[in-house]
Amino acid sequence: MSVKIEVIEGGIPHQKILIAGLVLAVIGLYLSYLNVIVGTQIFAFFGGLAAIAALIWGSHTIKILASYGIGTGVPSAGMIAFGSGVIAFLFATKFGLYAPIVAIILAAVIGAILGYLANEVLAMHIPVMIKSLTEMAVVGALTLMGFSAMISGSFTFSALTTGSTKVLGMSLPSYQTSYIGGALIATVFLLGAIAIQHGFNACLGPGWKQDRMLMLTAECGFLSMMVAAVMSAALISPAAAILSFIIGLLGWYYTYMKYIELSKRDAAAWLDMKPIPEVEGH
Amino acid sequence: MSALGGAKPAGGSTGIAPIPAIISLVIFVIIFALMYRLGTPLAMTALIGIVIGGLLIGFGVHFVPVGGAPAAMGQAPGIATGVAMLAAGGGLAGLFGGAWAASQGTLVAVVTGAIGGGLMLAITCFFVNFVYIYGMGIPAASGKVKKDPITGDTQPEYKSQGTEGHGLPFVSFVGGVIGGLLGGAGGTLIYLMLLDVYQATLPGVMKATAVQIAPVAVSLAGMFAIGIFLVIAVLAAYNITGTIEGPHDPKFKRFPRALIASAVASALCGVAAILLVMV
Repeated sequence: MSVKIEVIEGGIPHQKILIAGLVLAVIGLYLSYLNVIVGTQIFAFFGGLAAIAALIWGSHTIKILASYGIGTGVPSAGMIAFGSGVIAFLFATKFGLYAPIVAIILAAVIGAILGYLANEVLAMHIPVMIKSLTEMAVVGALTLMGFSAMISGSFTFSALTTGSTKVLGMSLPSYQTSYIGGALIATVFLLGAIAIQHGFNACLGPGWKQDRMLMLTAECGFLSMMVAAVMSAALISPAAAILSFIIGLLGWYYTYMKYIELSKRDAAAWLDMKPIPEVEGH
Repeated sequence: MSALGGAKPAGGSTGIAPIPAIISLVIFVIIFALMYRLGTPLAMTALIGIVIGGLLIGFGVHFVPVGGAPAAMGQAPGIATGVAMLAAGGGLAGLFGGAWAASQGTLVAVVTGAIGGGLMLAITCFFVNFVYIYGMGIPAASGKVKKDPITGDTQPEYKSQGTEGHGLPFVSFVGGVIGGLLGGAGGTLIYLMLLDVYQATLPGVMKATAVQIAPVAVSLAGMFAIGIFLVIAVLAAYNITGTIEGPHDPKFKRFPRALIASAVASALCGVAAILLVMV
């Protein structure tokens, strides 16, 4: 069962990706907190960038775990990452400014216990199981927190559950027009869960290349960021939502072109097919 | 590192390792002690309900005939996708069904959830066989048993050479429906337990009326239920390592250790979900 079928040759070592992903995600989350300090919503896009940093790290973790042949398909890894991540994230939101740190610690505890259950009780006996599930729970929590900060402008429990509606010119608190009350979190859950697993699911195989997979994950992340930016228009100021959308669009365009370039590099042959072939005789 | 494990016998090991089981029990007891110390009787009841829901999900996943990639090529029996996807499809359909009936009481809602999940899997199984038989032109045959345990139909004559069997024999179909029933009931039970806790405590935490916080309570309970559901479904999927034919498969005998894992995982996730509004 635990026969490692692929090894990572060359490329950036996993430890570096882990540290870079974790540090960038936490910095991004705290930069989005500038919103509260300065009293604006324009820095919401930092949350999206934090989520993408975490997703890239998570994608590489899935690669490490799935190279042992877990037998349940790659998407299941994304599901357990976000299933355990959402619990840590929601619990951590009540700690205000310390939410990202609490989320990391709690997600690591939940992930480690789940990894222990999978490895010892369920007799998987995969050497990286505990470490991978710990990392993935943290990634899930940080990604959800990043997109939450991007959509609602903050990552605290009161900000996520309380919105405001205008009735006859007066601004009233409304719990339905909020990130959690409006269940936007359910959409973000799947946006993240698909983005984290798609990179490896699409690039796996003997021709796997690290840079190509990570570029595809970044592309999926920016695509999710664009959707999240559209949803954020319901909760934050239009200027902040448009800024997030433009950053998402630029990032998506860059990573998409880069991904196509890397795919051409790794492909055996490349036929540049036109979308609609021209019929002769016209 | 046991990297050179080689091929395992059919069914793999089914036993429970004693030391991990004891450590799991200790974690389980610590979680309940923590809940007893910090929470109210309502929270304690909710945690027990969540663990029962988790056990139903973990047990139910083992019934669902999961074929994976080989089934997509007609080379193994089962539904051609992964465990996590099937459990999510059946269980979440049940959860959504049960959530509609939440106001009618726990029993009605749980039964509604079970019917929702069972119906979802019944429709899935029906169309799987429809596509196999009329689309791909292959009969349903099990590769693991000589006779269907329910109908008594013989299987080997219909099995193509070089395959593990194909399609969904009657016992797999029934297994799928039972799995959907259990998964839907478990998911709904977790949702209802959390909804009770949030409806009782959120008005105090958020300083608002019960009507105002209703969307937040529903959304939080739903998200936690989905999170717990997916965690348990994937752990159960790890236990059956990919594919299973249904309740007649030798791998089915592995379920006791999945029950241990489900109980600990649901208690762990449930305590975080409850303490969100308690501490």
